Amino acid sequence: MPMDSADVVVIGGGVSGLTSAYFLAKAGRDVVVVEKGIVGGEASGRNGGMVSERVDEPALIPMAVEAIKIWATLDAELGYPTEFTQKGRLQVAVTEEEMDDLYSERDVALRHGLSAAMVDPSEILDMLPGITGRTLGGLFFANGGHANSQLTVQALAWAFQDLGGRLYQNTAVTGLRVVDDRVTSVVTTGGAIAADMVVGAAGPQTALLAQLVGVHVPVAPARVEILATAPIERAFDIALVGNGLYGRQAASGNLLFGGGAHEWTDVVLTDDPGKPNTPLIRNIARRLAELLPGVADVPVIRSWGGVVEQAPDYMPIIDILECPSNYVVVTASAHGFGIAPATGKAVSDLVLYGETDIDISALRLSRFAGYGPDWREQRGWTPAPLRY
Amino acid sequence: MESRPLVVVGAGVSGTAAAIEAARAGVQVTLIDENPIPASMAGLNVPQIFGQRFAYTLKSKALMLERVTADNEALAVAEAAGVDIQLGTCVWGAFRNSEFSRVLDGPQLGLADDERSWLIKYDRLIVAAGARDLGLAFAGWNLAGAMGANAADLLMNRYEASSSRCMVVMGTGNLGLNAARMALDKGIEVPAIVDVSSAVRGDEALRSELHNAGVQFYTSHTVRETVGNDGNMESVVLVEIDDSGKPVAGSDKVIAADTVCLAVGLVPNVELLSLLGCDLKFESELGGYVPDRDEWMRTSVDTVFVAGDAAGYHDGMVLDSEIARNQGRLAGIAAAESLGALDGKRALDRKADLQADAVDTVPNEVHSDWTRWLQSLAKAGGPDIFVCPCEEVTCAELLDLRPPRFLGWDSERDSRRSLRALAKGSPADPDQVKRLTRAGMGHCQGRLCREQVSMLLAHESGHDVAEVPFMSYRPPVRPLPLKVLWAHEETEQMRRDWPKWFSPTSPVLG
Repeated sequence: MPMDSADVVVIGGGVSGLTSAYFLAKAGRDVVVVEKGIVGGEASGRNGGMVSERVDEPALIPMAVEAIKIWATLDAELGYPTEFTQKGRLQVAVTEEEMDDLYSERDVALRHGLSAAMVDPSEILDMLPGITGRTLGGLFFANGGHANSQLTVQALAWAFQDLGGRLYQNTAVTGLRVVDDRVTSVVTTGGAIAADMVVGAAGPQTALLAQLVGVHVPVAPARVEILATAPIERAFDIALVGNGLYGRQAASGNLLFGGGAHEWTDVVLTDDPGKPNTPLIRNIARRLAELLPGVADVPVIRSWGGVVEQAPDYMPIIDILECPSNYVVVTASAHGFGIAPATGKAVSDLVLYGETDIDISALRLSRFAGYGPDWREQRGWTPAPLRY
Repeated sequence: MESRPLVVVGAGVSGTAAAIEAARAGVQVTLIDENPIPASMAGLNVPQIFGQRFAYTLKSKALMLERVTADNEALAVAEAAGVDIQLGTCVWGAFRNSEFSRVLDGPQLGLADDERSWLIKYDRLIVAAGARDLGLAFAGWNLAGAMGANAADLLMNRYEASSSRCMVVMGTGNLGLNAARMALDKGIEVPAIVDVSSAVRGDEALRSELHNAGVQFYTSHTVRETVGNDGNMESVVLVEIDDSGKPVAGSDKVIAADTVCLAVGLVPNVELLSLLGCDLKFESELGGYVPDRDEWMRTSVDTVFVAGDAAGYHDGMVLDSEIARNQGRLAGIAAAESLGALDGKRALDRKADLQADAVDTVPNEVHSDWTRWLQSLAKAGGPDIFVCPCEEVTCAELLDLRPPRFLGWDSERDSRRSLRALAKGSPADPDQVKRLTRAGMGHCQGRLCREQVSMLLAHESGHDVAEVPFMSYRPPVRPLPLKVLWAHEETEQMRRDWPKWFSPTSPVLG
């Protein structure tokens, strides 16, 4: 039997891998996506679904702006629903210190030409009718929004398949064959696939995958938590950030809010990392009830954890390597969902042309040239010692 | 945080036996039971399918506490043995460190009553959380009056708070026959017991007792629908089925009843075991996913033991409570031994005594029967029955993987996507189906629909239901209001150190 082959093999069926695969398939390339579990099984399907212009990371603003343009017509483009809604993003302050932060974020936003304005507590009451508690003020981004992360990954996967793309779920990558500074094939639990180009979009497994070709990508996995309440009558459409939480009311009516301390963890290449919840959900519940006292009687019906990866500067990495020269690395540092359409465009550009018009100058791997294999220890980004 | 040497979850037959056994060995035992549950929980059909058939008295916690205590004589024995008994307290979470999370300073349980939540630590845990009612969709099962067998038992016997007057029972196994007998004892009429099988499945003596009491048996029948007024069940329509499970035209029978008791099967409550990472395996003979355990009732996690229906349930256990009691005693001994309260020799002797009493029953696999029920109900009731009543997902919507109705989404592309297409090659992952259709996303965490979803997935992909992956549970495994789950004891440091998101100053939890 001849070996399976493709123009491009994308490793990772998360939102970054799937947007990349979608745009590559749309450009006429024969693309295979290899996913160790189900599409969006990890952070891509477990995040808060926020789509925002990230003022806290100004270098990401060009990506975010580009992404939001694509989000606006993504449902129609894909032919499947993502639940994207763009009614704005509100960040509220409950302390003076947070108020100061909002003012400086507003200034950054205006400098970058974003639509951002301070709102006072009475305007906040109008935006969150009947449920909000005491706030000092807020910062409103008109272009922010949110989507259903789980529907989005499936929409991308199906649209990719509709273009002839091949999706191999429950197929883990176990090796990468390199000949003369090029990856020639991707070895999986389902056999080897010969490839002209390889995109490594492996989320928390990014570092382990790159290690297979001798490349050091400094990202550290971390576990974070979110909870969901029972559905309530439609109360707000905006994406909401405040009291240490971020979240939204989903189209189904459920409130989904996350936040709080993360925990550094380790992952393995071929298997799902465990994503246990901790008693932290009680603290998230408290903060949500403080932020929105009007929903204090609403039951919490579940919670979940997700593992995201972080680079040392909390920024994504999007780059085409020098060696192996046909390998594109993409990892999002927990910004992945909102900027995914721009990521996909940038990656597909790199694969097709070796360069992209999207400003990814701050996202190159070379910025970590000085990072050795022990960077996590030096940074204190290692898992706590195991004690039962 | 408080710490207890041994916590037993569930004060049913096995949990109480475990608590007594361990207490007598000198262990300080805490026995926790969620009964009496608050009326709000019963209204949500958690953990059983109460079908709104509870009397107003359920709202009186004091009265319910009295009745729950009076109904369980073994509780008095446990109390005399020094067991600390906490009723009306649910266990909504169980946490322990693992490879992937290392923030705790020991294994913990999340507890709550109807006002607040708190955490306790334990050295050993016995999960005797019982079993829940198997949910099976039929036309009108969202009406008030569709109730499960365990809920009926709770309401009629432990709470004495049933408002049913006339009950049709689905299932002629011991579970169904026993439910019918309990109803008759409580003065509730039982006009009919229905089963898709061609003969009564349960105990012959019990069958004949019910027959003599005037109960009609409808074998080779299924429920076409229940009809109600104002959301309230008033009658049940039965229909005869042929060998393929299809309804026989013109064979409908309308029976006046305000309650349908779903007594086709019970499913072990493995939520806490799943949260703790205990190995689970699929054993149809024991009701689906059950903990991997040894003859000492030890799970794969060395601090966690299991007993009773939660360890695996079969129809023979309905009429023989000794099976669960023995398991409870064994778990109590094993836990006491592992805490050093009993030496190995004494533990072995006690175990030998218990094994001499043990009854050997070889249970049958249940999923082919459950699947026959499911298929017959769908054929008789039509494609629009709600497989997932919380999110109102119909059988047809599930099979077509249709996006939730509230999105108002309609596209030609979408119509090409179906469960069958998704399942090509391997059974679809129920977690993936849940994300797409919302089946299992409701407040019951899929307790009403997960077996049906698994069976439909298996059927559509041509695989055995045993191959369908386990749908995970997440804390809280009881729906708890934000103000109850609220961390009232949160420290100033926790408040101060709460990170905005990842940032250079954000601390690691713990």
